[in-house]
Amino acid sequence: MDALLLQYPWLDELLMGFLGLSWKHVVMWIISGLLIYLAVRKGYEPNLLLPIGFGALLANIPASSAVSQVVGEEGFLWTLYKAGIANELFPVLIFIAIGAMCDFTPLIQRPIVMLFAAAAQLGIFGTAVLATLLGFTFPQAASIGIIGAADGPTTIYVASRFAQDLLAPLSVAAYSYMSLVPVIQPPVIRALTSKKERQIKMGYQEEKPVSQTTLFIFPIMVVMIAGIVAPISVALIGSLMFGNVIKVSGVVDNLSKCAQGELANLTTLLLGITIGGTMTADKFLTPQVALIMALGAVAFVFDTAGGVLFAKLLNLFCKTKINPMIGACGISAFPMSGRVVAKMALEEDHSNFIIQHAIGVNVAGQIASVVAGGLVLALIPALSK
Amino acid sequence: MNSAVASALTMMAVALPTMFLVILCFMGATILLRKIFMQK
Repeated sequence: MDALLLQYPWLDELLMGFLGLSWKHVVMWIISGLLIYLAVRKGYEPNLLLPIGFGALLANIPASSAVSQVVGEEGFLWTLYKAGIANELFPVLIFIAIGAMCDFTPLIQRPIVMLFAAAAQLGIFGTAVLATLLGFTFPQAASIGIIGAADGPTTIYVASRFAQDLLAPLSVAAYSYMSLVPVIQPPVIRALTSKKERQIKMGYQEEKPVSQTTLFIFPIMVVMIAGIVAPISVALIGSLMFGNVIKVSGVVDNLSKCAQGELANLTTLLLGITIGGTMTADKFLTPQVALIMALGAVAFVFDTAGGVLFAKLLNLFCKTKINPMIGACGISAFPMSGRVVAKMALEEDHSNFIIQHAIGVNVAGQIASVVAGGLVLALIPALSK
Repeated sequence: MNSAVASALTMMAVALPTMFLVILCFMGATILLRKIFMQK
């Protein structure tokens, strides 16, 4: 073959794809095929998993021009990576879009639900400790723990700052497990609660309406408090709350609609395919990545357990009992987690409607996960010294 | 103890209570907001 290539040098160019092919590429094709299958056939986070799967396919064709890092011949996925991931722009834009979609009314009506959301962030820190015990460096471990926030943009934001080499597996794990909430959470909840506890009725309470002024000041207040505690989190929480302010202000409906529609869709598309582009075989097919995927599942289990156990703890002191299942909704996977728990309550007792409470906790989870991300962002540099 | 493990444990010990404090601040401020700007 070498002799043939020496005799006909143009053959090298023509056969570049075949000659560069290895079993690792084939495995990555299978993985990208699986992601595309899960998105298209199973409907698991299709907005993200489909672009990620396709991006992974583009990145794993030998000598792919899509991911070329050769100066002057840079592939578009590499250009997008530098323009939107390396400088954390895409996660911030996604947060503006999410903020514009959020309705904090249930949270403002029942502020106590924020406590469940705080407890449900336990998984982040527990998983980080576990990851360091398995040999990851502290910044890597903290970035792995963030998967437990069930918050894709926060995961990408933290990873792009402190664990760029693990960005691809962390993003894939975060979004995959977010879509697997209906599979992961119910067994953990059942294991930690009795049938009697799952049947606790919380009733429907007619809450007083929230004034427009309160809705408007709430996001500004959250930014100020979180920003003063952890200034490094301002980019994350600030963009989330900016999106919400343009929605609740009521004077820029065009911007709000743009953020919820075009901005959300375009950034999701670019973010997905760019993350997929980082899933090259040499970086993805490592024992470390297998460990990250396993730790991601552990983070979700810990989070669910943290929320449920906290609710059980409160029940020891409260006169009016809380259905401990709502504690599990304190993660950021909205509204999936709230719906899963509400459905479980109905399965236990056909007259038990806890969706109002579950969704309130789930909304609080969105804020708590960003606050937790901000604290991790602040503490990684401080504790790495 | 490995320094990475120690850092992760310190992060847990610092971040969890801080998290609850921040959330309590949010709760207090939210209750105050609702009281001041009550829907008529």
